[in-house]
Amino acid sequence: MGDLILQIRKLTNFFGMVCTAKELDLDIEAGVLTSIIGPNGAGKSTLINLITGNLPVQSGSILFKGREISRLPIHQRVRLGICRSFQIVNIFPELTVLENLLIPTLALSGRTRRFFAKIEGEDRARDQVKNLLEKVGLAGVKDTPANVLSHGDQRLLEVGVALAVEPSLLFLDEPTAGMNPVERVKVLENIRQLSREGQTTFVLVEHDMDIVFSLSERVVVLHRGDILGDGTPEEIKNNVQVREVYLGDSV
Amino acid sequence: MLQSVVQVILAGLSTGMFIWLVASGLTLIFGVLGVLNFAHGSFYMLGAYFCFTVLKYMGANFWLGLILGPLCVCVIGFIVERFFLRYVYHIALPYQLLLTFAFVLIFDNLVKIVWGAGSISPPALAALGGSVDVLGRKFPIYNILIIVVGPLVALALWGMIEKTWWGRIIRASSSDREMASAIGVRVPALFTSVFVFGTWLGALGGGLAVPYVGIMTSGMGETIIIEAFIVAVIGGLGSLKGAFVGALVIGVLTAFGTRFFPTFDMFLTFILMAGILLWRPQGLFGVAR
Amino acid sequence: MKLKSWQMALVVLSLLALVGVGLFSGRFMIYLAMRVMILAIFALGYNLLLGQTGLLSFGHGAFYAAGAYGLGFFGLHLSSHPLLGLLAAVVLAAVLALIIGFFCVRHTEIYFAMLTLAFGMMVFSLLWSAREVTGGDDGLVGIMRDPVSFFGLLEIPIGKDRQYYFLVLAVFVLSAWAVQRIRLSPLGLALSGIRENANRAEFAGLSVKNYRLAVFVISGAFAGLAGGLETLLESNARPFMAHWGHSAEPILVSLLGGLQTFAGPLAGSVIFIAMREMVQRFTENWMLWFGIVLLVIIMGFRGGVVGVFQRLIGQAGGGR
Repeated sequence: MGDLILQIRKLTNFFGMVCTAKELDLDIEAGVLTSIIGPNGAGKSTLINLITGNLPVQSGSILFKGREISRLPIHQRVRLGICRSFQIVNIFPELTVLENLLIPTLALSGRTRRFFAKIEGEDRARDQVKNLLEKVGLAGVKDTPANVLSHGDQRLLEVGVALAVEPSLLFLDEPTAGMNPVERVKVLENIRQLSREGQTTFVLVEHDMDIVFSLSERVVVLHRGDILGDGTPEEIKNNVQVREVYLGDSV
Repeated sequence: MLQSVVQVILAGLSTGMFIWLVASGLTLIFGVLGVLNFAHGSFYMLGAYFCFTVLKYMGANFWLGLILGPLCVCVIGFIVERFFLRYVYHIALPYQLLLTFAFVLIFDNLVKIVWGAGSISPPALAALGGSVDVLGRKFPIYNILIIVVGPLVALALWGMIEKTWWGRIIRASSSDREMASAIGVRVPALFTSVFVFGTWLGALGGGLAVPYVGIMTSGMGETIIIEAFIVAVIGGLGSLKGAFVGALVIGVLTAFGTRFFPTFDMFLTFILMAGILLWRPQGLFGVAR
Repeated sequence: MKLKSWQMALVVLSLLALVGVGLFSGRFMIYLAMRVMILAIFALGYNLLLGQTGLLSFGHGAFYAAGAYGLGFFGLHLSSHPLLGLLAAVVLAAVLALIIGFFCVRHTEIYFAMLTLAFGMMVFSLLWSAREVTGGDDGLVGIMRDPVSFFGLLEIPIGKDRQYYFLVLAVFVLSAWAVQRIRLSPLGLALSGIRENANRAEFAGLSVKNYRLAVFVISGAFAGLAGGLETLLESNARPFMAHWGHSAEPILVSLLGGLQTFAGPLAGSVIFIAMREMVQRFTENWMLWFGIVLLVIIMGFRGGVVGVFQRLIGQAGGGR
C-alpha cells in the first residue's frame, strides 16, 4: 500500500436535477495505475472536471497530498501537481509543437513571468522539452504548427503538454482515442514506463477494455455518479454487479 | 415638484422608446446572428434621413415617409448582410465588429455627401404638433404617441417570436445553430431576414425621431448606438425583454440625470453599465453563455 | 528568432530614413512623422493585447488620455521636466489600467469589449464634465516643452519641432525594441498560448487572469506614453483622447498593417497617417475612403498589408 495521493470525500455534483456525483468517496494511491471506467453518463468526465478544477465543487472535499484543493483555481492545482489531458484535442493550435511544450515547461518554473528575456536563452526549459519530445516521439515535427499535425500526433502532443508540468497525479481522458495501433502501443508503453518510474501517478479514463485490463493495477467502476466496483482488474472482471450493469456481454 | 418629476418621467419614457427601437433590432440581430452591429445606429440615422427626404419631396406626408423611409434602409441592410457580413460569421470577433464599424464610417460620410455636412432642421409637423395638459403642464401629443408605439412594437415582437412559425425558427436557431440547420432551416436565409428586419426596426426608430429630435446630423447614429449598446448590455445581450426594460431604465435615468445632475448624466449611465456587467455579465434578463 | 538579412536591412534603412526626416525634411513632414511614431507606440503596445493575447479593448483611449492629462497636470503643477512628465504619464496610465483591468479581465470576448468601452467612456465623461479640473471640452492647454535637463549638467532644448522630433524618435525606437522583446520573451509565448487556448493555458499552470491583467497594464502604459508624447507635441490634452472613437484607432491601425505581426502596427500607422493626409488633401471624404479600405481588408486581406507582403516574399522565395 502506497501513500494516498488523493482523497475524495462526499463529493456531490448536480447538473440541474441530474446527479453526476453522489456523495462520492474515493482514494487514489500514489504509484498505482488506476483506471476509471463506466458507461456513458456515469460521471467519469464530471469527476475529472471536479478534481482538476474545470467544474466548481458544489459540496464535498478533495484532499491532494493531504491539502484541501476543492476551492483552488485550475492553475494552482496544476502547480501543486495535478494535471490532465482532454478527450477532445485541446492544445495551442497555431503554435508549434515546441512552443506547445515550452509554455507549460516555462510556466512550471515561473519563467513565463520573464517579459524581457529571450526565449532562446531558456536553456533548461529547452532541454526539458527536448527530453519530452523524445519521450512522446514528436522530435521530428517540433517546428510544425500543432494544427497541421495528424490527429494521432495531436493526441501525443496533448499527452505531452500534460506531462510537461511534471504532475505527480495525471488524469488521461481517453488518451488513445483516434490513434492508429502503432501510436496506441507507443503511448501505452510510455504510460507504463512513466508509471513505473514512479514520479507520476496515472489515472486513466478509458472505453477500451483491453487497454484498461492490460494496463491498470486498479479499476474503479462508476455508475450514475456512484462507485459500483473497485479492485484489481481480476476482481472487477469477476464482479457480478459490474458485469450486470456495465460489462454485459463484452467480456 | 411632482409636476416636474412627472414631466421628467414622460420625457425619459419617450427617449427610452427611441433607444428601445434601436436596441430591439440590435438585440434581435445579436441573439440570432451573434454579431454586435456597430452600424445599427447608422440604420437609425439613414431611417431618419430617408424619411425626411420623402417628407420633403413627396407631398410632405410624414406617414408616407415613415413607411417608405425604413423600407429603403432595409435594402441597404440586405446588401450589408448578404454581400459582406455573411462572409465573416466564422472569423474572429474583432473582424466582425470592425466590419460593421467600417459601415458606420461609410454611411456617416455618405450622408454628409448626399444631405450636406451641416445639420438639418426638419419642417415643423403641424398635424402632429398638438399637446395635452399633464398635471397642468403641456406635453406634446407626439411624445405620447411615441410612448404608445414603443410597447406596441414590443408586444408585436413578442407575439411574432412566441407565436409565429418564423419566431419559432428564430428561437431554435439562436439557441442552437447547428441543430436548426440539421432540421432543415435555411440558416443563411434566416440570418438575412433577421438582419433586414432588425434594420427595419432601427430605421423605424430613426423615422419616428424626425419630428422629435429637432435637428438631424450625420453623427446622430453614433450617439444612439452607444446608448443602445448600453441598453442591450444592461438587459442582457440577446434578450428583447431585457432591452425593453433597459431602454426604459436608461431613458428615465438619463432624463433625471439631465434634469438634476446635468454635468454627470453620461458618467452615471456608464457606471450603471459597468456595474451591471460586473455584477451580472449576462445582464438583467440574459442567460449565461 | 534571428532576423533575416533583408529584415535587418529594412530596420537599418527605416532608422536612417527617420533620422534623415529629422535632419532634412520640412516642418510639415516632421510633424507628420511624429504623429506616425506616436500612433505607432500606441498601436504597438495595444497589439500586445489584441494580436498577442486576443483581447479586444475599446477603452485604451482612456489610458492614452491618462498619459496626456497626467503629463499635463504634472507639467503645470509639479515639474516641467519632459522626461519626468513622460514618466508620470506612464505611471498614471499604468495605475489606471491596473484598476480598470482588474475588473475587466474576468470577462472575455464581447463582454470584455463592452466593459472596456464603458470604463473608457466613463473616463471620457469625467474629463468632459469636470470642467474646473480638466478644462472640460477645451481640455488642458498651455503645456510647455521645457528643455530636457540632466541634473542641471546638460540641457537639451526640445522647444522647436525639429528638436522635439529626436526625443519622439528615441522614445519610439526604445518602445519598438521593448515591445519586440516582450513579444519574443517567455511572457510573450505565454500570452500567445492564452490567445490560442485559455483553458489549456490554465492547465499549463498559467494564471490566465493575472497574465491578462499584466498585458492590459503593459499596453495601457504604452498608451499613456503615446498620450504624453502627443500632449508635448500639441501642447494640449483633450477629452476626445479617451473617447471610444480614439480607442478604435490602434485597432484599425493594427488591422490595416496585420494583427499578429510586429511590423503590422508600424506599417499600419504609416499608412493610416499618410492615407489620411492624402485623402484629406483631395476630398472631404476621408471616412468614406477609410471605411472602404477597411472593408476590403476585412473581406479579402485579413493578414493586413504586412501579411500580403509576407505572402509575396514567401512566393518569391520558395513558392510555398
